[in-house]
Amino acid sequence: MLNMNGISKVYQTEMVQTHALRDFDLQVNEGEFIAVTGPSGSGKTTFLNIAGVLEPFTQGQYLLDGVDIGKLNDNQRADIRNQKIGYIFQGFNLIPDLNLYENVEVPLRYRGIKAAERKRRIESSLEQVGLASRAKHLPQQLSGGQQQRVAIARALAGKPRFLLADEPTGNLDSLMARQVMELLEQINRDGATIVMVTHDPELARRAPRNIQVVDGQIADFSLYQGNPAAVVGA
Amino acid sequence: MFFHYVDLSWRSLKRTPMVSLLMVIAIAVGIGITMTSLSVYHMMSADPIPSKSTQLHHVQLQTMDDGRDWWSDDNMPYQVTYPDAINLLNADLPYRRTAMIAAGFAVHVDDSDMKPFLERARVANADLFSMFNLEFIYGSAWTRNDEDSQASVVVISQSLNDTLFQGENSVGKTINLDGMTVRIVGVIKDWPTYVKYYDLNNGAFRDPEHIFLPFSLIAPNEIITWGNSNGWKAENVRGFQDKLKSEQFWVQFWVDLPTDEDELAYGQFLMSYMAEQQKLGRFARKELDFALRDVKQMMVYREVVNEDNKILVMLSFMFLAVCLANILGLLLAKFLRRAPEVGVRRALGASKTQVFIQHLVEVGLLGVIGGILGIFIAQAGLWGMRKSNDAYTVIADMDLTMLLSAPAIAVSVCILAGLYPAWLVCRTTPATYLKSQ
Repeated sequence: MLNMNGISKVYQTEMVQTHALRDFDLQVNEGEFIAVTGPSGSGKTTFLNIAGVLEPFTQGQYLLDGVDIGKLNDNQRADIRNQKIGYIFQGFNLIPDLNLYENVEVPLRYRGIKAAERKRRIESSLEQVGLASRAKHLPQQLSGGQQQRVAIARALAGKPRFLLADEPTGNLDSLMARQVMELLEQINRDGATIVMVTHDPELARRAPRNIQVVDGQIADFSLYQGNPAAVVGA
Repeated sequence: MFFHYVDLSWRSLKRTPMVSLLMVIAIAVGIGITMTSLSVYHMMSADPIPSKSTQLHHVQLQTMDDGRDWWSDDNMPYQVTYPDAINLLNADLPYRRTAMIAAGFAVHVDDSDMKPFLERARVANADLFSMFNLEFIYGSAWTRNDEDSQASVVVISQSLNDTLFQGENSVGKTINLDGMTVRIVGVIKDWPTYVKYYDLNNGAFRDPEHIFLPFSLIAPNEIITWGNSNGWKAENVRGFQDKLKSEQFWVQFWVDLPTDEDELAYGQFLMSYMAEQQKLGRFARKELDFALRDVKQMMVYREVVNEDNKILVMLSFMFLAVCLANILGLLLAKFLRRAPEVGVRRALGASKTQVFIQHLVEVGLLGVIGGILGIFIAQAGLWGMRKSNDAYTVIADMDLTMLLSAPAIAVSVCILAGLYPAWLVCRTTPATYLKSQ
């Protein structure tokens, strides 16, 4: 599904050169649920942005579902984001002027899906996150946890094969965080590949596979590897 | 997707009402002022008779002796003498033609309830009506026989017919013009022009006349001109018959020359006519000269649209450019403030082109609103011009072309102003704002 070989990312200013990722190698198979942990500034979000085709990398090769991302132009990258990837952000990133229905509709419109099909998908994904009855509400009328569920519905509506979550529970209390995590686990069981960046070791332990990023490299690939059921049950 | 963009644009405008209002006002004021001056310019410079403007030709003859100067650009008198007009009318040529002068009369009818009133008139030949596409609603033009027999006949306009006869068919009835009783032979629709291109000697933007008399009535009825009479040499003009024989210029002459060949042939005729007149002691000059100008050339020659009008239009466009610069600044601030949302949209699959178009639709919507408001401001400006100066009564108006142009220009300038901000915001790297939202 995801294959990164020797990926490096350098941020260059006039005075400073920052190596956010260096020789980053990672393979993610179809249907995996991976938690990415690491200290602040270690390169987790940079990795997630590159994995999500949100920003270019400096060196290396990145294959997503067999497509060489480094060779795509901007429009092709937009298409990949739209059709293959779903995003869940720490800050939810809902558009404040749009109600829940319209927020979920955004990626579907860019994909050119017809209105009837859009409606079906939106209602289905809002149903899945338990917010179908609040479709006409604006994001600011919801709690943080509900907003994050809308963001998940938005990601799900496009039926992505690859879901990226950047600190999806970072702005939520523990109860909300657990609900969101359970939702992600359900989505994974339904077949989506999930890569989740988190600071929370407890959440990380619930993922079947963990990687730790330190100084732009994978430091310990097998720290939390083991029986997923055992980890979840722990 | 376009209507979705329009919907998003409308929401965006409502989200920042003050900034939106400022931009709309800037556009509306810029468009209002520009359209005011442009409408006047458009009305002044528009072709008043598109179907005929290249074939109707105004005749000028250089009849002055050598050493005499005229104040025209080409030293050519604007009008012709009465003898020349009569000779050109009598020439055996297949072209429709008319001599004409401006005149005026006290009009009265045999109705004690109606007071006499002054009305301007045009004294011309019967070809005038067909040459200048004047349309009859009752009767017809007078005949050549009427001209030859100096019959007291008249054609009046629909407006005058409404005033005098309440719109009834008045053909055969008589009216009195000063002391002359004339029989109505035809009623035409009001001359549909706002530029008196056929007689630019006394103001280009006055109402066309409502009374038309045969040119052959000038001599027997001693009809005096209400237009310009210009002399260039000392002559003993003691009465009307002396004026008819004099070298004074007071008659306009138009000829209908459908093709370039006709124009060439008529030019050759004029040269031979002048050479003939020279033998009779007139045109005492080494080089004979004439001018044949079609309607549009005549309007340029007589500077119907003068330099002041052009400068005014330029200044108004410069003002619009200032408005444009303000809008550009406001758009930059507004769009860049929205970069985080654009980042989200880009992350969710919007291409740069889609983001670019979405923002251009928004500035286009601003342009439409500003343009419509600008039309009202322009209408107010034109109303002010009409009230301030009689010369603008007819031309300070917006026709359909200008009404449609206003939003079109507004949208165009807004899109022009929005290009850079839209381009800047569409280049937003998706990842930049996602974490910071």
